Amino acid sequence: MKFRPPKQQCRSAVRSPAGVALILPAVILALSFTSPSAAQDNVSKEQADAKLRYCEVCHGVSAQGFHGYYPIPRLAGQPVEYLKNQLQAFVEHRRTSNIMFNVGHVLSPAMIDALTTDFNQLNPKPVGGAPKENIDEGKKIFENGIAAANVPPCASCHGPQAKGNGPFPRLAGQLYDYITNKLTNWDKERGQNPSQPDTSAVMQPIAHSLTEPQIKAVAAYLSYLE
Amino acid sequence: MRSLNSLQTDATTRARFVWLASRKLKNDGSRVGLAVLILTFVLVGAVSAQHRISLSGDLEGKIGYCKDCHGVSAQGFNGYYPIPRLAGQQPEYLQNQLRAFIEHRRTNNIMFNVAHSLSPAMLSALAAHFASLHPPPIGGAPRQLVATGRKIFEDGMPEVNIAACAACHGPDATGSGQIPRLAGQLYPYVIKTLNNWGKERGQNPTEPDTSAIMSPVAHSLNRSQIEAVAAFVSTLR
Repeated sequence: MKFRPPKQQCRSAVRSPAGVALILPAVILALSFTSPSAAQDNVSKEQADAKLRYCEVCHGVSAQGFHGYYPIPRLAGQPVEYLKNQLQAFVEHRRTSNIMFNVGHVLSPAMIDALTTDFNQLNPKPVGGAPKENIDEGKKIFENGIAAANVPPCASCHGPQAKGNGPFPRLAGQLYDYITNKLTNWDKERGQNPSQPDTSAVMQPIAHSLTEPQIKAVAAYLSYLE
Repeated sequence: MRSLNSLQTDATTRARFVWLASRKLKNDGSRVGLAVLILTFVLVGAVSAQHRISLSGDLEGKIGYCKDCHGVSAQGFNGYYPIPRLAGQQPEYLQNQLRAFIEHRRTNNIMFNVAHSLSPAMLSALAAHFASLHPPPIGGAPRQLVATGRKIFEDGMPEVNIAACAACHGPDATGSGQIPRLAGQLYPYVIKTLNNWGKERGQNPTEPDTSAIMSPVAHSLNRSQIEAVAAFVSTLR
């Protein structure tokens, strides 16, 4: 937030002694508004809204997710903590995405606070479009896991309605092909800095144990959850 | 408008005529005349078409007719207007746009007349045909802009809320589904389209379409950024 007194006014104010008395507080005020710490700690409603529109260009209206060249994930309803973790992971190259690295690394902490709170509060309908024939199987895996393959129930961390919690992401309404993509490529995208292991390690063995048809069934089930 | 409904006519003959006329007028340097002549001829053809047998099954003829303006391999053509490359274009995007012309969501009188006579079967056959073509780009953009354009295309400009084009159009600008291929698109066409986005696309407020996605992006890009991105994509194969 920058405070810029209109130029015309300044010039006329300087000419009179009374003007000097007026302009000094104005300068102090202007400096205090433009100091680096203030700029970092404050995000105006306009700035946050503009950034939100920018995010929605790729993540879809109301951040419901969008099929661009890649499946671009739903952010709506996502826990704040998870969103912050992931933005951090992109910036620190623990999670690979060139585009999201560029997006993430210019965001101030205040902007991240504003954005993640906004996304968390959005609740659009799922995009839909997944094949429906294996939804029942997906529900079973989500709720009960596959004991024989050492796959725990997804619900135990992501919650019975897949709404997520804290560092655990919401999966309800997530794009079908985004989920299949993530689970298939887990090791290539997450936890990419061996010296700095993160929560992505929790999912690593599970993603590995699931077969392709199981991944598709779970993804289809989740993609329709509201 | 009754006559325009039956614009399934002897496309090849008309196409040849327009081609010859355009060559002559081009040599004379009268580009306005060319545009007027093409438009007139399209309309005249439409009027006479109602007396002819419908040739909606004549895919070859229709393809020849399209290529007359869009270039011999649909690689695009600099007519009076820059006429876009259709080669390699996503079939879903092509069909969407033809429908947008018909429904006046996208403004273009010439393309309204072209599209509005196409049967659904012809529409999808044409889209599939154009998607299968891969001629090299026309080229001709200023080379010194390409590096800046690549940077904007791949990374966007997060500081000023410009998304990376690659996120939706793909790292090679080939597009996907309803999102158009930009690779090899004409430099002046991309510039014109981005500059006029709000005036040409999404023109029916009661029926919003996917063009709304690009609207804030087109608005945020300044002239030199648009030229840089256009130069970059125009070089891609």
